[in-house]
Amino acid sequence: MQIIIDGKKIDAVYGDTILETCRKADIYIPTLCYHEAFGGQGRCRLCMVELEKEGQKKMVAACTYPITEKIEVRTSTPLIKKTRRNIIMLLYKRAPNSLLLQKLFREYECQDNSLKEDPAERCILCNLCVQACQEIGSNAISLIMRGTDKRVASPYDEASEACTGCGACALICPTAAIEMVEEGNKRSIWNKTFELLACERCGKLYTTKEQWEFTAKKNNACASDRQLCESCRKKAVAEKIKAYQAAEH
Amino acid sequence: MKMENHKFRKILVCCGTGCLANGSMDVFQALKENLDPDSGIEVETYVKATGCNGWCEQGPLVKIMPDDITYCHVKASDVKEVIEKTIKNGELIKRLLYRDPQSKKRFKSHHEIDFYKKQHKIALRHIGEIDPASISDYLSCGGYQALQKAVGMQAAEIVSQIIDSGLRGRGGAGFPTGLKWQSCARQENSPKYVICNGDEGDPGAFMDRSIMEGDPHTVIEGMIICALAIGAEKGFIYVRDEYALAIQNLKQALADARSFGYLGDDIMGRDFFFDIEIVRGGGAFVCGEETALIASIEGNIGEPRDKYVFPTEKGLWGKPTVINNVETWANIPVIILEGAENFASIGTDHSKGTKVFSLVGKVMNTGLVEVPMGTTLREIIYDIGGGILKGRQFKAVQTGGPSGGCIPAELLDLPVDFESLAAAGSMMGSGGLIVMDDRTCMVEVARYYLNFLAGESCGKCVPCREGIRRMLEILTRICEGQGKEGDLELLEELGETLQIASLCALGKTAPNPVLSTIRYFRDEYLAHIREHRCPAGVCRKLTEFYIDPELCNGCGLCKKNCPVNAISGEKKEPHVISQELCIRCGDCINNCPFLAVKVK
Repeated sequence: MQIIIDGKKIDAVYGDTILETCRKADIYIPTLCYHEAFGGQGRCRLCMVELEKEGQKKMVAACTYPITEKIEVRTSTPLIKKTRRNIIMLLYKRAPNSLLLQKLFREYECQDNSLKEDPAERCILCNLCVQACQEIGSNAISLIMRGTDKRVASPYDEASEACTGCGACALICPTAAIEMVEEGNKRSIWNKTFELLACERCGKLYTTKEQWEFTAKKNNACASDRQLCESCRKKAVAEKIKAYQAAEH
Repeated sequence: MKMENHKFRKILVCCGTGCLANGSMDVFQALKENLDPDSGIEVETYVKATGCNGWCEQGPLVKIMPDDITYCHVKASDVKEVIEKTIKNGELIKRLLYRDPQSKKRFKSHHEIDFYKKQHKIALRHIGEIDPASISDYLSCGGYQALQKAVGMQAAEIVSQIIDSGLRGRGGAGFPTGLKWQSCARQENSPKYVICNGDEGDPGAFMDRSIMEGDPHTVIEGMIICALAIGAEKGFIYVRDEYALAIQNLKQALADARSFGYLGDDIMGRDFFFDIEIVRGGGAFVCGEETALIASIEGNIGEPRDKYVFPTEKGLWGKPTVINNVETWANIPVIILEGAENFASIGTDHSKGTKVFSLVGKVMNTGLVEVPMGTTLREIIYDIGGGILKGRQFKAVQTGGPSGGCIPAELLDLPVDFESLAAAGSMMGSGGLIVMDDRTCMVEVARYYLNFLAGESCGKCVPCREGIRRMLEILTRICEGQGKEGDLELLEELGETLQIASLCALGKTAPNPVLSTIRYFRDEYLAHIREHRCPAGVCRKLTEFYIDPELCNGCGLCKKNCPVNAISGEKKEPHVISQELCIRCGDCINNCPFLAVKVK
């Protein structure tokens, strides 16, 4: 089906969101809580766009609005720009030491105002860490509390049995809000300390014991499988392929 | 005064929450004990505990039928006299009758009183008349007859009756109920669900509570009719756990409905299965939002989702779901039984039927009232509510719960319906009406509500979570005398962003208390910011009380009550307040009979 975005006719797949359609068509819409692996959440509201349907205009979140009929979308009106500027200002005031928000604050030409700043906060509650943890299958962290007290935590802020220290949460965090500290062969994250395993081939500390066991179980690995870091694993696979090829000739 | 003597008397003791809190259970027990069949009283009696009569200000209420006597403020110690005089001999006890504060006249029956005269009861039709724990009481006043009628109707016919009635959702948004049912009925996906939203969370609101406590079967009957119309097999009643009596009465009602064959297999002899389960809410205000409520029933975090696809299509567990508010359900049996036209003849062009309001605040008759849509605020506050307490000035009325707006005196003749309230910057909401007098600071009111909402926002989306917090930050500093030029403009700008970008109605409506008070009481904000003065004398850091020597007659009441001995003066001489000692509690200004205490 075809819809109109910013005056241009764009091909869209029935049921796809406005955001997905725009990304495919190379039309930029800013987001903070969206990741293609998880789909839209509608949290940050940075992707608000103007929708016109049967002559009626309304503002919708592009990341959650599914295209099911002929619509016209505008991605950058003065009202949208103002709304995005205010959202970025609000997030900057929450986490003023986040480099990402400092950059956005400048890019969107936000005006500074008299609202207080919290220098200790970095988290913008985009929930990507929770989604990553869920996707991996650990479910070790979650959003807790509500309103202004809302935050991400492990259960009761204690070391969670489910956490394998994989660090996916820290990796996906757009504002570097999750602290993951490595010292010697130890990694600390979410109030829990893990022992790091060394690659059997190159000796690099590359994962935690818990994560290796978790992944091995998930992939039905054998106890005899070697513990290899990512690059050594690639090399080992390549060597295997070469050996097969040599045997065939 | 001797009345006609009857051989049979029915005694109805109001056991709604307000009356219970004032000891009506003791009255009920005392009546039960003293009217024992062996007590030798010749009059046959039947004592029952009913739901809320709505006139909470005058509780505990006891009604005696068929004499149609209403006694107010009845205590357990009055019971013996009631039995001796009224029950045995039909004699009236004058001191227990309602006395109109203006005319000083006493009234025998509540039907003669202005509080009830202007009301029109549909949703509350049985409450106060029947024993909520008794299905036979419900049956005796036409209960489950609407279901009987619906069973003989085509599903589409039921839906079109609801559409034609013009009934709109009573939970706040006012979405046409019939269209909701129709949309769900058309879905091919199954199973389908029916949900009753009883997560009433607005401060000062108790409409749904009273219905669930006082007439649980009407809600159940409404839900069964819907299930019949849309083809649902399972229903849920989501009640906040704090409503213990509502849960108890609903449980009893569900068990009775099952044993009478209104729930379960082969309902009314038809090949139709439907049952209802109670889900207790954990006390999050946001779970009154339908998608958050659904998430909560599913066992997920109570966060709303974008409603670009309605629950009628993808609701509970992704299945078609009709979710209606308690009061909406209570209207259904009446529409089916009496016809859509009858219902649609009440109310205004776009808002049909009646609306229940919990009338609270600085008004004489606090309580629960049901009026036709389109009744003016003035009629509700002055004719039914009896006007403002202590003869003070009306200042504003807040409608629609914490995220409703404050409507000023100029708009008292506004008819109460969905459109008029929205145009005035407020909303119908679930039906809270909080009356404020001239001792209310509108900036502090806005701050109070934003503080409530800051804690009750689910925190999912940025505009609501961060925006409310920042608006609260600005309002707090204005109340503390730290307001700055530009604060009002910043509040307005943030308010607009919340309205546009928030995910659910909580965030979209959260700026209402702020924007409506800026719209109607801008001068009061400016007095705080520019003159560091709170004209209502509420914000302590900006308040100074003084006594007008011309008006003070030296009665000494303020001096006697002042908790910090800040007031001095000889008897019959004008008194003086020491600014050093005064803690600005406002006791003197609130209680001075001569209005001699003033705010600087």
